[in-house]
Amino acid sequence: MARDRLFFLSLLPLASLTVAAFLAIAALFVYESLPAFLHEGVELIAGTRWSPSTSPSEAFYGLLPAIVGTAVTSCLALAIAVPLSLGAALFVNEYLPHRLRGAVSTLIDAAAGMPTVVYGLWGLYVLAPLMQSVVAEPLHRYLGFVPLFSCRPVSGYSLLTAGVLLAIMITPYTFAAIYEAYRSLPTSVREAAYSIGATRAQVCSILLPAIRPAILSAALLGLGRAASETVAVTMVVGNAPTLTSCLLSPGVTITSLIATQFGEASLYPYMTSALYAAGLVLLAIGLGLSTYGLVALSRWRRWVASYV
Amino acid sequence: MSRRRALDALAAIAMGAALALCLAPFLAVVASTVARGAEAIARVGLPSFLTSRPPAPGEGWGGIGPALAGTVVLTTLTTLIGLPVALATAILAVEFPRSIVARAVRALTKAMMEVPTVLVSMVVYTLVVVPMGTASALAGAIALAMVMTPYAATYIEMHLESVPPKYREAGFAIGMSRAGVALRVCAGIASRGIAVGIAMGIARALGETAPLLFTAGGSHYAYPTSILQPVDSLTLLIYDFATSPYPNLVQVAWGAALVLVATYLAMFAAIRVLVKEVRV
Repeated sequence: MARDRLFFLSLLPLASLTVAAFLAIAALFVYESLPAFLHEGVELIAGTRWSPSTSPSEAFYGLLPAIVGTAVTSCLALAIAVPLSLGAALFVNEYLPHRLRGAVSTLIDAAAGMPTVVYGLWGLYVLAPLMQSVVAEPLHRYLGFVPLFSCRPVSGYSLLTAGVLLAIMITPYTFAAIYEAYRSLPTSVREAAYSIGATRAQVCSILLPAIRPAILSAALLGLGRAASETVAVTMVVGNAPTLTSCLLSPGVTITSLIATQFGEASLYPYMTSALYAAGLVLLAIGLGLSTYGLVALSRWRRWVASYV
Repeated sequence: MSRRRALDALAAIAMGAALALCLAPFLAVVASTVARGAEAIARVGLPSFLTSRPPAPGEGWGGIGPALAGTVVLTTLTTLIGLPVALATAILAVEFPRSIVARAVRALTKAMMEVPTVLVSMVVYTLVVVPMGTASALAGAIALAMVMTPYAATYIEMHLESVPPKYREAGFAIGMSRAGVALRVCAGIASRGIAVGIAMGIARALGETAPLLFTAGGSHYAYPTSILQPVDSLTLLIYDFATSPYPNLVQVAWGAALVLVATYLAMFAAIRVLVKEVRV
């Protein structure tokens, strides 16, 4: 019908802005990072030295420390967040009285949306000193022979603190994903298990394999979120652009590199472009992980739906 | 006690501890913010804290007036820019689900939600700030709108989709056009849901820092004058003052964090109440 067509066309300009914005982002990141790729070659990704200079021949823009920093802090965050939120989600579902369930999941939802800069502020003044005295120094003293803890902890600002803060920030998301997945399982299986006398812990272990794909996708989404978090990480990671194998030393991540360097980047040739290249790496990782996570999640939901 | 029961109790303790560890950091963050923030606000009194300029580095006390005004300007502008886009996107996706455009819009809206926010800031810097020659409230609001629109659109879409088909059919049966059904029938029925979507978008825009890093760029001491001039925001002030070496500025950062957290929690609670009423 003609007037329906008109309605469609009148929505189109505004609605296609989202498409335009996404395509602009993708195109701009490829276009802007080209000069750095052409100038630095493989060194851009594999180089370990980050030293800006006004003369192009003396400038080094190696992104490896930032890429490794992002990988280390995000994986550390995941290693802490997934087991904790799995345990918590099972506890809320199987042990907690009904009345408390809503309250707990509301509290965790509130934690998920809290402004990230507040986590950063807390990380800077409460978590970092605590990590320094309670975790970093004992680790170095007793496990100093392990390369991960071999460097002397100078301040609380380190890859370790950043990883722990990220874990705190992504836990609400991984919890929500696992909690919802567990709740969506058919009750008949639980009832069958209870009816033959299984304890609550046994019911958990019976149902666990059924949500394994959902746990995986929660982990992937959490990993994407941890890698793209910016201000809170910048505030606690220490911002030292060097490659290190020690968790207790200050480091850098892709996002903190951009946050601290992009403001002055236009003063140096190729630096803006190098930071765009860093962003492109992050964009590719983030979109890849979360797309895979979302696809895996919807496939699993269909599987559960077909089971009921 | 049998071995089975003991194992069950052990598992309960371990999982309960995991839950405690999930909740404790959030409660600790709120507690620290309330304790340290209240101290900073009490020094000058709440009205003066909300309206006066911050202190000079290293001496005296002050407030967060310019940053708060900047946040109000930014949030308003963001809503004005983002809301029409979010509504149009959601209505298009619900009313014309089979068109290629709607499918592309749907898929890329999901993808936009996963774009790291600091990258949005870089893009707006290059496409808006550089051509304009200055950071501005407008640039900051465009960046915030790019972050909040996908959320609001997805949420509004979900609520429009949940309108029972019989209302839609009744509209068509009395000869209404698709536009009439979408705007007068469906939007009316889903209005609470739409309000929640908008409120969630605003709550998000309020607390974002990374999109503003290279776009808003205002001084912490100057009140906003025009949307084409730089502005400050609460989040930028917290970020800058927290990392400064001056104890009095750090105190002001805690006070600003308390204002931000209180506003966020109030909005969160309001949204929860609205959502409950929507479900009933």
